[in-house]
Amino acid sequence: MSNHNNILVKTEDLVMHFPILSGVFQRQVGVVHAVDSVSFWVRRGETFGLVGESGCGKTTAGRTILQLYRPTSGHVYFEDIDLTKLKGEELRRMRRRMQMIFQDPYASLNPRMTIAEIVGEPLLVHNIAKGAELEERVREALVTVRLSPTFASRYPHEFSGGQRQRIGIARALVLQPEFIVCDEPISALDVSIQAQVINLLEDLQEKFNLTYLFIAHDLSVVRHISDRVAVMYLGILAEMASRDELYNHPLHPYTQALLSAVPVPDPVIEEKRKRIILEGDVPSPVNPPSGCRFRTRCPLAQKICAEQVPVWREVAPDHWVACHLV
Amino acid sequence: MTAYIIRRLLLVPLLLFGVTILIFGMLQFLTPVERSALYVRDIPKTEKALDGIIKKYGLDQPLYVQYWRWLVGTKDQATGERSGGILFGDFGFSRVGSQPVASLIKQRFPNTLDLTLWAVAPVILVGIWLGIQAAVHHNGFIDQAGRVFSIVGASFPTFVFGLLVLMIFYSKLQWFPPGRLSDWANQVVMSGGFRSYTSLLTIDSLLNGRIDVFWDALKHMLLPILTLSYINWATFLRVTRSSMLETLRQEYITTARAKGLRENDVIFKHARPNAMITVVTLAGFTVVGLMGGVVITETVFDYPGIGKAAADAAAQLDVVTVLGFALFNGLILIIANLVVDIIYAVVDPRVRLS
Repeated sequence: MSNHNNILVKTEDLVMHFPILSGVFQRQVGVVHAVDSVSFWVRRGETFGLVGESGCGKTTAGRTILQLYRPTSGHVYFEDIDLTKLKGEELRRMRRRMQMIFQDPYASLNPRMTIAEIVGEPLLVHNIAKGAELEERVREALVTVRLSPTFASRYPHEFSGGQRQRIGIARALVLQPEFIVCDEPISALDVSIQAQVINLLEDLQEKFNLTYLFIAHDLSVVRHISDRVAVMYLGILAEMASRDELYNHPLHPYTQALLSAVPVPDPVIEEKRKRIILEGDVPSPVNPPSGCRFRTRCPLAQKICAEQVPVWREVAPDHWVACHLV
Repeated sequence: MTAYIIRRLLLVPLLLFGVTILIFGMLQFLTPVERSALYVRDIPKTEKALDGIIKKYGLDQPLYVQYWRWLVGTKDQATGERSGGILFGDFGFSRVGSQPVASLIKQRFPNTLDLTLWAVAPVILVGIWLGIQAAVHHNGFIDQAGRVFSIVGASFPTFVFGLLVLMIFYSKLQWFPPGRLSDWANQVVMSGGFRSYTSLLTIDSLLNGRIDVFWDALKHMLLPILTLSYINWATFLRVTRSSMLETLRQEYITTARAKGLRENDVIFKHARPNAMITVVTLAGFTVVGLMGGVVITETVFDYPGIGKAAADAAAQLDVVTVLGFALFNGLILIIANLVVDIIYAVVDPRVRLS
């Protein structure tokens, strides 16, 4: 683990299980293994990309890190503070330093509040600003995300998706946090707007020295924005490395399959290129396969894959993978 | 906002036209003898008298002429006196009440309004409070208890519950009597010294400085209020609970938590106002229901409101009176609907600005 001092956020064996309740007495009949024993770290000032298919637990991981879900077990460290140990007021105060940008810009803004109220509320509840100063801070935040301050008195439904997402970003920024979880911040937007928001996020990172956990399923976007990337499959991490290392030398069969699915904008290469087509569907997170969770769809699976859970280990400097065959 | 309210106001005449057409249509099913109650107090005894009335009030005229006359009434050529005309507040004669329908309403409606006034807070506010508690403690003890209560509440008929509380609190304990006032209080109210300001007994007794009469009036309303609360809580609990749960699942609630709000603020500042949008409609119609007279509750407790008056008229086939009440109810409904629409606009910016 290099640059140990520079780590801002770190998870240790993070586990998030959701109980499945059923019947008249709402007894627990099972467990959704949304996130299972996930360990990674994010360095200060970097963008850490977390990719995976829908339902692989990446959103849950992001929310569990921010303690919007309380983890079943494991730890989340923010600098040296274990967030999982914090409660009530202590946790509330920590929220100044870590914020979230949500996937759905339509659902994540309270329809009954004006833009000024939405963006200004965090400052109020943390006793940072009020009155004229609050207005000024809201104005600043709106200008920062390239929205007109005259929008302040309007309501969310009057804006387009891209504008709403920028309102969401302004809301997250207003507290001047160090760490922002971007949960698929562009997947609900039109392609033309996506680039705009990505560029904005990059500019803001530079300006405020932000650290991003960037959750997405779009591999090209993650490649564009991330410094380091982790690949998630069915609640576990498959592979983690620096961006170039991961995209150029993927080791885990799942990463290889994912990357082979990205189309290349050159018809000659695209035609010759070898694609790994995965068979079958993602298994249910209620009953994940024994051993390696990817084995049911892995083209290279062997006997050991069903018997033992692969260890999450560093196979090359800063290149981590969980696979028996690497 | 202004444009929205104006648009709503423009709808009112249209709705009024619809309601009057409907009631007028129903009147056409009556025989001329029954319909004569719209214009004259006494039942015509002879064939000849009936013919005279039919001629005089145009009951043999085409429907649109009759409708117009029903609206504006008929002027007597000789005396210049108008009879009939719902636009002037003349709904015909109640042969059962042996007085004009309008004055029967005027006499009974204050009692119903009084009951509504005191029932609104316990019925609606407590019902909403129960629903919020159930949603906040989703699947907890309060929620489960509320669920049982709302199933029992929804399936246990009003008259059974009403008779039950009557048995316990009146028959056995003798705490709360039925009716409107005790005899002694009634004598106070009827006496010359008691001035009527609003016709609402509770308010008037306070204005007259008669706390004892006020207590007596309130005591008579307690059992009806209890019954009304019981039947409405179940509905309010269910609607508020599901609306609140739905709201609590919204992403902006997670946003609010991520901002660092206290859980209480998340529930009461972010979730509740949004959840109330559905409940406002229910509350509006509940108030209208209460104001229109609660037939079963008023009958069980012998409470002289318009619900009981309408039920009595119906029992004696006094159709003109029943339809008079129906028309009155329609008016209340239209006004209340307008008020609910305006409240909607106040609580929901999406309605206000669209």
